[in-house]
Amino acid sequence: MSAGLNIPGATVRDPGFPTERENYLTNSKGVLSWMFTLDHKRIGVMYLIGVTLSFALGGLLAFALRWHLLDPDGTLFTNNIYNQVFTLHGAIMVFLFIIPSIPAALGNFLVPIMLGAKDVAFPRLNLSSFYLWIFGAIFFVMALCASGLDTGWTFYTPYSTTTDTSVIMATLGAFILGFSSIFTGLNFIVTINTMRPPGMTWFRMPLFLWATYATSIIQVLATPVLGITLLLLIAERTMHIGIFDPEYNGDPVTYQHFFWFYSHPAVYIMILPAFGIISEIISVHSHKHIFGYRFIAYSSIAIALLGFLVWGHHMFTAGMSDMTTIIFSALTFTVSVPSAIKVFNWLATMYKGSISLTTPMCYAISFIFLFTIGGLTGLHLGTLATDQHLHDTYFVVAHFHYVMVGGTLVAFLGGLFHWWPKMFGKLYNENGGRISAFLVFLGFNLTFLPQFILGSRGMPRRYATYDPEFATLHTASTHGALILGIGLLVALVVLLMSLVRGKRASANPWGGATLEWNCTSPPPFYNFERPPVVGDPYDFHDIEWDEQNERYVTIEPERKMVPETEPAEAPAHAADKQ
Amino acid sequence: MLPAAFSLLADYTEDYAWFPDSASTFSSEVDWLYKVITGIGFVFFVGVIIALFGFALKYRKAKGQKAESQVSHNTPLELAWSVIPSIFLVGMFIFGAKVYLDMRTVPDGSYEVGVQAFKWGWTMDYGRGTFHPELHLLVNEPTKLTMRSSDVIHSLYVPAFRAKKDVVPGRYNYMWFEPTLATEKVSDEDLAAAVKETEESGAEWDYDKYQFTPDGYRFYDLYCAEYCGENHSQMQTVVVVHKTREDLDAWIKKYSSRSDTESLESYGEKLYARRGCSGCHSIDGSPRVGPTWKDAFGSMRALTSGATVKVDENYLRESIIYPKEKIAAGYQPVMPSYKGQLSDDDIDSMIAYMKSLSANAE
Ligand code: HEM
Ligand SMILES: [Cu+2]
Repeated sequence: MSAGLNIPGATVRDPGFPTERENYLTNSKGVLSWMFTLDHKRIGVMYLIGVTLSFALGGLLAFALRWHLLDPDGTLFTNNIYNQVFTLHGAIMVFLFIIPSIPAALGNFLVPIMLGAKDVAFPRLNLSSFYLWIFGAIFFVMALCASGLDTGWTFYTPYSTTTDTSVIMATLGAFILGFSSIFTGLNFIVTINTMRPPGMTWFRMPLFLWATYATSIIQVLATPVLGITLLLLIAERTMHIGIFDPEYNGDPVTYQHFFWFYSHPAVYIMILPAFGIISEIISVHSHKHIFGYRFIAYSSIAIALLGFLVWGHHMFTAGMSDMTTIIFSALTFTVSVPSAIKVFNWLATMYKGSISLTTPMCYAISFIFLFTIGGLTGLHLGTLATDQHLHDTYFVVAHFHYVMVGGTLVAFLGGLFHWWPKMFGKLYNENGGRISAFLVFLGFNLTFLPQFILGSRGMPRRYATYDPEFATLHTASTHGALILGIGLLVALVVLLMSLVRGKRASANPWGGATLEWNCTSPPPFYNFERPPVVGDPYDFHDIEWDEQNERYVTIEPERKMVPETEPAEAPAHAADKQ
Repeated sequence: MLPAAFSLLADYTEDYAWFPDSASTFSSEVDWLYKVITGIGFVFFVGVIIALFGFALKYRKAKGQKAESQVSHNTPLELAWSVIPSIFLVGMFIFGAKVYLDMRTVPDGSYEVGVQAFKWGWTMDYGRGTFHPELHLLVNEPTKLTMRSSDVIHSLYVPAFRAKKDVVPGRYNYMWFEPTLATEKVSDEDLAAAVKETEESGAEWDYDKYQFTPDGYRFYDLYCAEYCGENHSQMQTVVVVHKTREDLDAWIKKYSSRSDTESLESYGEKLYARRGCSGCHSIDGSPRVGPTWKDAFGSMRALTSGATVKVDENYLRESIIYPKEKIAAGYQPVMPSYKGQLSDDDIDSMIAYMKSLSANAE
């Protein structure tokens, strides 16, 4: 296989390139072989296409919003349409893009491979959760577009029980999507619990798997609450059962408690997998052991559990009792500790590393920058006094975009560039990739930094029109969105071009030590030809750069073979036996 | 792109401000906390960024070179960076909660104003039958707002006071603050010019354009901060802070009720603007959230129930007090009830005004 590297006293392990037959992309052909596939990799790819399309739709709507805000009294949207567009944008981004993106698309592809398994525990459930997602997504988008929805993605009562737009259709859509999310989470939990090969102990699991595991716990525990809440909302609308609507003696704040009890943990469904990706990228592209492995692993679980206790911070101005409000504020700060420490761990991993500024690394650096801003501005919102001023203003819009777009989306892109050669067996143009990372970074900051100032100056969110003093900052923000959009297009073009013109990717283009880099790129149908050797996923000692073939290979020390000749003398203890 | 960047720079150098006016006792405390948090955050941020870009450049290596170190943990270091930030967090929490408790503890004997929020406007209740959309206060006087909503959740937000509270239907929420900075009065000439211009154009008063109220006071903005439907972003009013109690009382008196010399129609016209009718009913024939008042009086109206009624005094009075009883076909039952909020004379004035708008009135 590898004619290049020659190290005396060691064997060089390099899976080389896959053949046509064993490669998962080509081992069977035709649309049907994809539609009815039970292969987690193909399902992951189909999810990838799905979430990308959803993101494109949500992104176009976002740009339309920004365009409208250039001249809010102009002609692009009426108030009514603006309200529907921001609802559509928010709902599509949350339910169709950001929640499924990393777990369902990248997670499906990677979890079994990184684990060293052949597939997920329930391949059929996996396929059915994909179709549930497709069905839910089509239904959801049709409901949103066909009859309009103007409640915001939060469906707050009593607005949602009284508006004449199609709340029931849309909530049913979200309900269906919830099942898909639960199935995926369940599948991962069972896979990780039962399908680890010999040698893969919990603490030899790559951090991406810990993150996925923690995310799955939230998906399974929290999503049903959303489902029940949405059903109650439908019951309220149709039968006036009187839980949420004051007109029938209900209490609208109850709805907010129910809703955020799901949706706050959902924020961690969005960000935990991103943490997992960043841990992988930083370590692999610094060629250095991840710093504080156990802490990162435990903190994922801690965040998942603490995430269930802080929902009340969305309601600091709603009129809860003062005691409740203060307790929620205190709990909120506890979640920030594990998140902050992760940032320090990533930096410590880079320290004295051997850093390659590849595209994934550029995205990861951008992630740390943006996520730090997103996290630190969360402190202003967790602090009660300042939140009274900033709540429901553009400060919040900026904060959650820093976390969700600057955090999750950027991590998703980084992960996509990191694993793209593995998924499709092609290398992309590195310079193109870096340019996209730079444009996304620049455009993103120009879009959302001004919004912190807008919010501090008192510009409320969800406003179709605004007072003249806010115009300049809105204009800057829209220009930023343009650059951001161009950056995303560049990323798309770079990735698609690689499929057509890219060089073949070797098994381990970055020099990673986790198991997925042990199989060919793209992986064979059953992932591994022989059971993988499980070791420390962040041990880079025996990974060497093979100059001649331009690829990383794994070096195994030559085992001292026992000579095959008979021993001259029987061992002393053997004598008794005869 | 470039022009925007330059005008942003101009903003920085001219009248640029990070915060709106600081006009209440809370605003300075909130700004102080905001700056402290931002300062602490900034120090951490700069540290992170220096490390991030510093390491990325310093430890950049050619492909295949080994890392200088493979250290995988360091317990004292990890403890230090968990505990030190936690101390700062505890501080933020404590100060935040302390100021918050102040915001929630209303001093005895506060000046009280009732607030009614509805889609899409505000009515402030000054007692003794005086209602007005503008919020008028006295400087250095603790003020308590008792708030209710007639339809969905709204949120009363005065950026200059750094104060916000949701207005939730089905319960009374309250908030209080103490304004510290009175708003100026503009010169009589400026006011007269603006009033004349508005009268001639026949439009409603343009607060954004003049930056003072029809009575000539400069103001702070008051926004609705909780999304409440179509005209959420227009659900704004203004806060005027008077220098003396006499001035405030005089203003309240001016709006307390119809004076003996004023005609029903002209007072009805004022109420139309003042009590939020204009948000939903046009007087030029165009349909809004509710039916227009032009030529309404005396016409026949189809109802959603299928019946038809004549728009007369009885129907109008009923629609103002019990708006959900008879819904005009093609409209939603969204109008709030004005029961207890309009006096008989007010309702008579409204009806007189509607009559004056209609060619069908006898
Ligand atoms: C790609 C660039 C993006 C731009 C320019 C953008 C812009 C906007 C704008 C203008 C709003 C309306 C703000 C308001 O009036 O409250 C908004 C709301 C929102 N955006 Fe984005 N957005 C972008 C990406 C995303 C992404 C990737 C997500 C993923 C989760 C997202 C999630 C949301 C949510 C949840 C809302 C709130 C909707 C609501 O208030 O109901 N956005 N965005
Ligand atoms: Cu409102």
